[in-house]
This record gives sequence, C-alpha cells and structure tokens, in this order.
Amino acid sequence: MAAVTGSAAVKTAKSCKKYRTVKRHAGIYTYQEPPHSNSDEDISEEKAESHDPEQIFQNIQYQKEIISNIRCRPWPMRQKLRALRQAKEIVLKYEGRLTRTRGYQAAGAELWRKFIRLAYNFVVIFIPWEMRIKKIESHFGSGVASYFIFLRWLFGINIVLTIMTGAFVVLPELLAGAAFGTTDRKTIPEEHVASAQDLDTIWSLGGYLQYSVLFYGYYGRDRKIGKAGYRLPLAYFLVGMAVFAYSFIILLKKMAKNSRMSLASASDENYTFCWRLFCAWDYLIGNPEAAESKAAAIVNSIREAILEEQEKKKSKNLAVTISLRIIANILVLLSLAGSIYIIYFVVDRSQKLERTKKELTLWEKNEVSVVVSLITMIAPSAFELVAALEMYHPRTTLRFQLARVLVLYLGNLYSLIIALLDKVDSMSVTLSGHLLFQDSDVNHNATNFATYSTTKTPSKEDNLSTTIPDVHIKRNGIVTLEESRSQGMTVSDSLVNRTVSLNSNSQNPQDQCWETYVGQEMLKLSIIDMIFTVASILLIDFFRGLCVRYLSDCWCWDLESKFPEYGEFKIAENVLHLVYNQGMIWMGAFFSPCLPAFNVLKLIGLMYLRSWAVLTCNVPHQQVFRASRSNNFYLAMLLFMLFLCMLPTIFAIARYKPSLSCGPFSGQEKIYDIVSETIKSDFPTWFNTVITYISSPVVVLPALLLLFMLIYYLQSIARSLKFTNNQLRMKIQTERTEDKKKVVQMAVARIQNLDGNDKRPEQETDISQESSAWSSTPRKNGSVLNFESPVTKGTRIQTISQSVPQTVPSTDVARPINATPTTSTSLTPAPSASSVQKARNDHIANRYPSIVHKSASELCKTKPYTPVTFRKHTEDVHSEPLFRKGIRQVNPDALGAEAPVFVGCRPYATRYFLVNENETRKKSLRSTSRLQRHFRKEEPGGIIELYPRNIRRYVVRTPHQMYSPHPSEDEENEEELGREFTNRSHCPRSLSDLRPAPRFYIGEHGDGHILMSKDLARVHYKSWDDGFELDLDRPPYAYKKVHLNYPEPRVKPKSKQKLEQSLTESDSVSIESSSDPQNSGNDQYIQVIHSKEKYAKPGTKLSKKKTKPSVDLNMSEPNELVCSNV
Amino acid sequence: VPMLQANPFQHRICHVFSTSDDGDDSMSFEDFLDMLSVFSDSATSDIKSHYAFRIFDFDDDGTLDKKDLEKLVNCLTGQGEESRLSSAEMEQLIQNILEESDIDKDGTINLSEFQHVVSRSPDFASSFKIVL
Repeated sequence: MAAVTGSAAVKTAKSCKKYRTVKRHAGIYTYQEPPHSNSDEDISEEKAESHDPEQIFQNIQYQKEIISNIRCRPWPMRQKLRALRQAKEIVLKYEGRLTRTRGYQAAGAELWRKFIRLAYNFVVIFIPWEMRIKKIESHFGSGVASYFIFLRWLFGINIVLTIMTGAFVVLPELLAGAAFGTTDRKTIPEEHVASAQDLDTIWSLGGYLQYSVLFYGYYGRDRKIGKAGYRLPLAYFLVGMAVFAYSFIILLKKMAKNSRMSLASASDENYTFCWRLFCAWDYLIGNPEAAESKAAAIVNSIREAILEEQEKKKSKNLAVTISLRIIANILVLLSLAGSIYIIYFVVDRSQKLERTKKELTLWEKNEVSVVVSLITMIAPSAFELVAALEMYHPRTTLRFQLARVLVLYLGNLYSLIIALLDKVDSMSVTLSGHLLFQDSDVNHNATNFATYSTTKTPSKEDNLSTTIPDVHIKRNGIVTLEESRSQGMTVSDSLVNRTVSLNSNSQNPQDQCWETYVGQEMLKLSIIDMIFTVASILLIDFFRGLCVRYLSDCWCWDLESKFPEYGEFKIAENVLHLVYNQGMIWMGAFFSPCLPAFNVLKLIGLMYLRSWAVLTCNVPHQQVFRASRSNNFYLAMLLFMLFLCMLPTIFAIARYKPSLSCGPFSGQEKIYDIVSETIKSDFPTWFNTVITYISSPVVVLPALLLLFMLIYYLQSIARSLKFTNNQLRMKIQTERTEDKKKVVQMAVARIQNLDGNDKRPEQETDISQESSAWSSTPRKNGSVLNFESPVTKGTRIQTISQSVPQTVPSTDVARPINATPTTSTSLTPAPSASSVQKARNDHIANRYPSIVHKSASELCKTKPYTPVTFRKHTEDVHSEPLFRKGIRQVNPDALGAEAPVFVGCRPYATRYFLVNENETRKKSLRSTSRLQRHFRKEEPGGIIELYPRNIRRYVVRTPHQMYSPHPSEDEENEEELGREFTNRSHCPRSLSDLRPAPRFYIGEHGDGHILMSKDLARVHYKSWDDGFELDLDRPPYAYKKVHLNYPEPRVKPKSKQKLEQSLTESDSVSIESSSDPQNSGNDQYIQVIHSKEKYAKPGTKLSKKKTKPSVDLNMSEPNELVCSNV
Repeated sequence: VPMLQANPFQHRICHVFSTSDDGDDSMSFEDFLDMLSVFSDSATSDIKSHYAFRIFDFDDDGTLDKKDLEKLVNCLTGQGEESRLSSAEMEQLIQNILEESDIDKDGTINLSEFQHVVSRSPDFASSFKIVL
C-alpha cells in the first residue's frame, strides 16, 4: 500500500498527505482542543474588539471561566499559558485589579490545603503494617490481603474497646478502688493461698488472676470511689453496654461505606477487565521492588479475572453434580451435628467430673476448651474436602465454605455458652438456697433445712442435684455429698451440709461469683484458641514447608508438587476464625473487662505470625479470588456474630441476679438497676419525673409506632429509588445503543468528508474539462434536470432509468455527469452540511470534532458540499471518487465512447449496487458483532464469486466495443489486485473466481488508457488509504472486506461511465434525502429493478436472485449501520 | 523522578509529553511542567484519563486496538517468563476487554469509550498521579 501511495499522482498524494497530517494532529494531539481553542480565542479576540458594555461584560465572564477551568483542558502547557495570559489581560483591562483581600484569602486557602496534605502524608506513615500488607498483597493478591486488612480493622476496634474499658473501668478501679487484699472479695481465700501461685492454678486462671482486675468479681460495689466520687458500678455497666453499641455503630458505618463504594460501581456496570488493565498501575510507585511486586500483583489479578471468565464457561454434568452436592450437604450436616454433640458431651462430662472427682488433672480442667478449639480447627478442613465434591464455581464454593464454617463456629460457641449458662443457673439457684440457709438462724434445725431442701428439690431437682454437691466440693473439698443429690437427702447429710456451709460462711461468696466464672471460661477459651492457632501455623504451615523444602531432594516423589506441597493460605477459614475470635471477645467482655486488651495482644501476635508464615511458607492460593475486599461479606458475618454474641450476654444480664458477694452490682436485684438507681438518687427530681414519663407506655408506644412508620417510609423510599435506578439504567442502555449508531454515522460522515475533499477540486476541473470538450444535446440536459429535480426517490430513479435509454443511442453520455456534479453540489449542500455537522456536534461532540471543523473549514470553503451521511452506502461513496477521477482523466479519450458501453455497463453498475447491498446485508445479518464478522470472511468470497459471473455476461455482450485493448498493463493491474485479493481474503475460492474476471475486463476495456487504469487503481488505493488512516476506529479486517468489494468499482472507471456516475450520484442523493435506512434500501431496489428491466436482460436473473435476499434482510438496521462503514 | 523510573510506561510518558520536533522524546521544562500538572492531585479525572489514553495508545493512532492492548499488557506484566501471559490468556483478556468497553463494537477502544470506562473506576484518579 505504501508503494501505491508513493507512486501516486502528485495531486492525490498531496491531498492525502494533507489529510494524514490533519488527522494526526487532530486525532492525537488535539482531540478536544480545536473547537475550544480556536473558537475560544477567536471569539475572545472578536469580543475584545467590540465596545458594547453588555458584550464586554459577557466577555469578562467568559474569560474568567477560562481562567477558572483552564486546568481542565488537555492542552499543552504553552497553549494553556498563552490562553491564560490572554484571558487575564482581557479581564484586567476591563475589570481592573482584583481586590487584595481576595488574594490573601486564596493564599490562605492554598496554605491550608498544603498543610492538610502534609498532615495526611504524615498520618499515612503511622498506618500500622501498611507495608507488610502491601507486600503480601503484591505476592498473594487482594484476597489474602483482605484478610490482613480485616485483621487490622479488627485490631483497631479492639484498641478502642480496650481504651474504653481501660480508661473507664480498669484504671479507676486500680487507682481509686480498694487495694488488693483489703476486702474479702479482693483477697484470695486462705485455703487457696497456698496453691495460688501454682502453674496449674494460674493456667486455669485461678489464684491471683482470679482476684484481679481481669474479672468482674474484683470490682468493688461502692457506689462512689476515690475523692472525686467516681461511680464505678455505673461506669462498669455503661461501658459494658457501650462496647456493644460502639461495635454496632462502627460495623454498620463501615458496611454503609462499603456499600456506597460498591454502589459507585453498580453491579452490572462492571468493567473488571478494563479496570484491571487500565487502572492497574499505581503511578506513585517509585521503588523498584515495589514496582516488581506491583507487576506481580497485576499479573495475579489479571489471571484471576481470566480464570473467572473461564470458570463461567465450564459446563458440567448435572445429574452427577446434583447427587454429589446432596451427599456433600448430608456429610456437612452430619459433621455439624457431630461437633455439636461432641461439645455437649464434653461439657457434660466435665461437669460430671467436677462433681465426682476432687482433684482434676490438667487435661480434665481444660478439656472443654481444647475440644472446642480442636473442632474449630479440624472441621473446616473436613468441610473443604467435602466441598471438593460439589464442583461449584470457586466463588460459590468459598461462600458455602464460609457459611458452613460460620454455622460450625456458632454451634460451638452456643453449645458452650448454653452449657455455661446452665451452670450459672445452677449456681444462682445454689446461691439462693445458700442465702436462705444463711438467713435462717443458726439454730434452725436440721429437719428444717431438710424440709426446705426437699421442698426445693422437686422444683429444681436437676439444679440442686448437680450444683449443691458441686459447690460444696469446691468449697471445702472435704465432703462429697453424692447422696444428697439423690432424693434421699437425709437429715444427717443436710446437717453436715449445714455445718460445712456455716464453716465456710465467710469464704463462700467468692466462689459463688458466676460472672467471674464465665469470664474465666471465655478468657481460657481465648487463650487456648490462640495457642492452637500458633501451633497450627507452626506445624501445618511452617514445618510442613520446611519438610517439603528440604526433604524433597531426597524423597521418592516430588514433595513440592505432589502430596504435602506447601500450605495454602485459606482465606475463608482464617477470616471466620477472626470473626469467631471477635465473637468470644464480645461475649466475654462484660465479665472480663480486660478481654479486649488481651485480644489486642493476640491480634498483634497473629498479625506478625500470620504475615510471616504467609510470606515464608505459604504459596498463593491456586485459584485466587477476590473474595470480598470491598464488599460486605466479612462485615456481614461479623455483624451476625456480634448480634448472636450479644444475645447470651444480654440474656445473662437481664435474666440472672448478680452475684451477691462479688462485683460492682452485688446486692442488686438486677444488674441494670444501677441505672435507675443512679437516676433516682443522683439526678434532680424533675429529671426523675421526666424519665418516668418517658418510660411510661404513653410515650413508649407512640414512639414505637413512630419508629415503625419511619421504617416503613424509608423502606418504601428505598424501593422507589431502586425502581428509578433500574429505569435510569435502562435509559443508559438505550442511550448507549443510540451512541453506537451515532459513532458509526460519524465515522461514515468522516469518510465522506474526506472523499468529498478528494473529489472537490477534481470534480471542478472535471466539469470544466468536460463542458469544454463536449457538446451537450438539449435532450440530455432535459434528462439531467429531470433527474435532479425529483423530490421522491422513486420518481427520480425512474427518471434516471428513462434518461438512460435515451442516452444509450447517443454518444454523448458524458452529459449527465457534467450536470450532476454541479447539481449535486448545489442541491445537497445546505441540508446535508447542516445536518451532518449538527449531528456530529450534538451527539459526538467530544469525538474528533476537529476533523469536522478542519476539513469543513479548510477544504470545503468554496462550496459547502459536505458529503452527506450515507449510512449504508459507504461503498458507493468510496466508489464515487473513483468514477470521477476516472472520468476526468478519461475524458479526452472517451470522446469516442459509444452507447453500447453504457448499455453494458449500466446494468453492471446497478448490479454493483445490488451486490454491495447484498453483501452488507448478509454480513449484517450474520454478524451481530465485530468479532464474529471476523470469522466470516468466506462470505465475501462467496459474493465475489458472483461478480465474475456478472462480468462475464457483460463481456459476452459487449466484446464488440471499440476499446483498444491494453492487455499487458491492465493484466498486471488486475493481477496485482488479484494478488491483493488473495492476500486479503482467506477463501481460496474467491481467488480462482476472481482471476477470470480481470481477464474479461481486459478484453472489454482495452481503452488504451493504461496509465489511466493504473492511475485509477492508485487513486482508488489512495482514497482507500485515506479512509484507512482516518478511520482508525475500524479494525483491519473490516478493510479487507472493503477491498473485496473494490475490484469492481475499480474496473468500472475504465469503461468511462458517466451514466454510472450519475446513477451513483442520484443514488446517494436519494439516500441522503431519506433518513430511514430501510427506505433508502427499498429505493435502491426500485432503481435497480427499473434499470434492469430496461437494459440488462442477462443481468435480470442474477439481480432477481439478489434482490430477494436483500428484501428479506431489510430488517437489520443497526447492524447494517455498522457494516456500512465498510 | 523515581516514580518514572519504576514505571513500565516511562517511555510512553516521555513520548506523550514531549513536544520536541526531532522525536527524541526529550522534554523541555514546559513539557515537564505539563506532565507534572497532569499527574498532580488537582488535575481532573478527565484530563488524567485523556493522557492515560494517550500513554496507552502505543502507535499514536488515536485508538486502542488489539496491538496496543497487547503491548499494554506486556508492559504491565514485565519481562519475567512466568509472569508473562500466554497467548491464549492474552487472547481471552483482550477479547473480554473489548467486550466490556468497546461500545460501538468496532474492535478498538477510542477516547470516549476509554474515558467512559475509566471514569467509573473507583481508584483511577487516585493512582494516576505522581507526588514529588
């Protein structure tokens, strides 16, 4: 192609170059610029000249606008500066200096912004573990990183919780509260002092730990402590509630933020791939290592996306998978039930053991926590195995896995907490019994007590039976009251009981602190969980990694790729583990104020350990999925957990009486009484009355109702918003299709612009030449006029066809052409130009308007002939220049041309149209998208087959024409083309079919215009090239197709058909005038048929054949539009 | 500027912002200023996406076609053997990208299509910047 352009005629080459440069400038450097800059500056200068105050004012406004948004324009700096300077000058000139104060204000604002940015940069340094997480992210993808980000976020929450409890509860107690050992509740019972420092005791959180700020029981019940009168019990209660409240608020806030972010990228407006590619690089990266890891991350994420896409396409065997899934679910359910049963069993057993055995071994004491932790560790792996059966999409698998593990964890926690509460229940009952016992005088006789206990037993049989002995054992470790459990509670037993309890009267209460007990259990669970986590990381990940790494050399199979492999980082389980862990904290925080603090430490340790383990001994998950970085999945789980963990705590607070002898609420009926008590005693009476009013049903009920109404209202609003949202989305979609059409339209228009520019000078010369050379017969003129004037296409076409027969006999066929260019220019310009430009400006304002402007302004100055937007007939458009050129150059020689030529070629021309139509239609029909069309190259080939046939017929008819043959040159030309063809078309058939065609031409049109034909070919290519350069939107293959079409038009010029040109012209005119593509198509039919009837008898068959499909194909408009580009 | 050193598109960036006539991609002070203003915080996302488009448009033809995309991916993935995408992956990737962003289905991405896509990205504007 380059060669062709190189050897092209000077004129065309020049014009071509011009366009190209224009294009380059326009297309690349100044997409949006020219309209702005040119018009802006022009206008501004213009306006600067004017002296009308109104205009001056407007101008100033305008310039100010420029100054303010000059930043938003993608101009080079020099231009910006120039524009800015100019604008400022003008503003200054007309408005005078800006006031000083505004300048100061602006400077201040600037300074403030800088300061903010500096502060922000400073803060970023302190985001903990940022580098670590980034590093992990770059190696393991966003999924793994999301775990760590989640962990960091939890860490933040726990910090706040710790500060809350530490500042308002723990510190005041430590500073102002009664010191350790001053009161009963703060001293270790004597008989325990000896063992208080045993590792065993400490391990089970007894001894000193039990009597420390760690647990509820240590806190004093004095209403005010210290000199300032700090109300510790109230603070304790409020902080306990605030922990939950804060967690809820922060969670919901985070979720709302996330959902807002995810809303920004609405679900179906999803450009995953594009974003991953176009927005992947972080231009802030300045460190080569970071760049490397970023590149790794990008590759990872792209692979992720590709994999996902592939996963979508996988098809599966339904029956098998369904059965497998059923089996898998049954297995999961079984294992869930099993784990719950095991926990229940273990708790039960431990209680029995406590009852029956005096001294418990280490194992027996920690049995429950160990078993729970073990289950939480093992079960997820089992679930994963099961999930492999199901063959879900990996993301679905992940979801299922998470859901199952969550259920498992919840089951564990709940069975544990229920067991604990069971125990608490029994404790409190014992306590009440004990209280009664205390209340009753020492001289209460045994029978009395016995009756009491017997009366009690029927109602609270289980509790009593389980707890009384239990308590007693614990208390003194002397008496085992196995018998008392059974109904046969003898007097002697009860006596013993009584004496025992009397003896240990002073010590009793401390042991009875159920809150401390729950706190202890939770803390114990947390600790053991931590130990297990560490152990599993070390064992499963680290040692496995070590083994695999160093033993693989001396092993019989490849350890790294086969069985043990390296551990994978399982995001789902780890995240859930975090959630579970946090759940434990929430559950226990009320009873053990230091639990959040402990959790902070735990999370820090976990962070370092995990990140180390991930980086050293884990491999990236083979199928990395963006589980849920920004979406709310983790958070929703956490929220769920929070709610469920809050329930038991709240239940315990509301349901159970606080322990009598320990804790800040001892002596009160309910824990929350502290609030009402405070209100009663410490607030003024009016406040009290207000509170009573507020809490009365009169206020509460309406408030509730109001709340419900609000909820309903908001919900309905949300629903309507959703509805409008959907509508808007639909609108966008239709807009988009519209947009598509417009883009096509514009592209076509652009081509035409070029062609028009191409044509313009030549046509003019054409006309002059022709007019000078040829004499026109009046008849012709008449016909020509006929042809131009008609309003409707049908009539026009008919006139054309009529005029043609007339012309046939006469030799001066060139006349119509003479007329047509001028007429067409005169006729078309106004509407077409305006409409085209308008359309472009309206719809595609920011798409290369430069071309429109430049080409229109520069090239079409003399005549407003802007090529009309043919939607369908770009081919025609392409061919037009050819004909013209051909005509121009042929003119001198063509004088002798005879009518038969026209006869022969006219039908040909019409057929050409037909063929084109057909082709486009076929293409359009079958190719709904570009990509598809790509594979349909055979199609054009098939069509090409048709061409030769047509041509052959003509040849048969027209051989006697008097064109002097020019075999060699033409041949070459043709064969060149043919070669081109072969290169471009993938269908060998087309090649073989094509070859004959050129030969015919040669025989036909031996005009002796070798040069001409060559020129034509070149011209053709040239314009072609132009098209190519200008329409880069189009894929190369589109061009190929165009090429296939081309040989025909190229041949035509040789036969010098002015008529043909006129036809094309008229055709185009008709199309122009018809806005509806379908209409135009029909018009063409009419035209074709007419012409055929009159002239081409041999051609009728073919044309008929062709017309049919084309009629059928009428319906596919949008696609046609796309195709018509070609 | 260290950020440019590490950037896989450093040559493209130089090329895009260079206005020198001899085509050696050298930058005058104004060009440099230009570049920094584009990469600054206060540049609008429109400008950013405009220049991003030009940076990604390797053959300077005003559209992103398949070859541009391929080059872009290769730039991003770097030279490593294992990091490079296989041809099948590349094919799929490009096809998907075109599917998503090529509104007029002409097989290439033009500026407005590009801006449409990029403007919806949550983190484009925040990552397309250089801070000295």
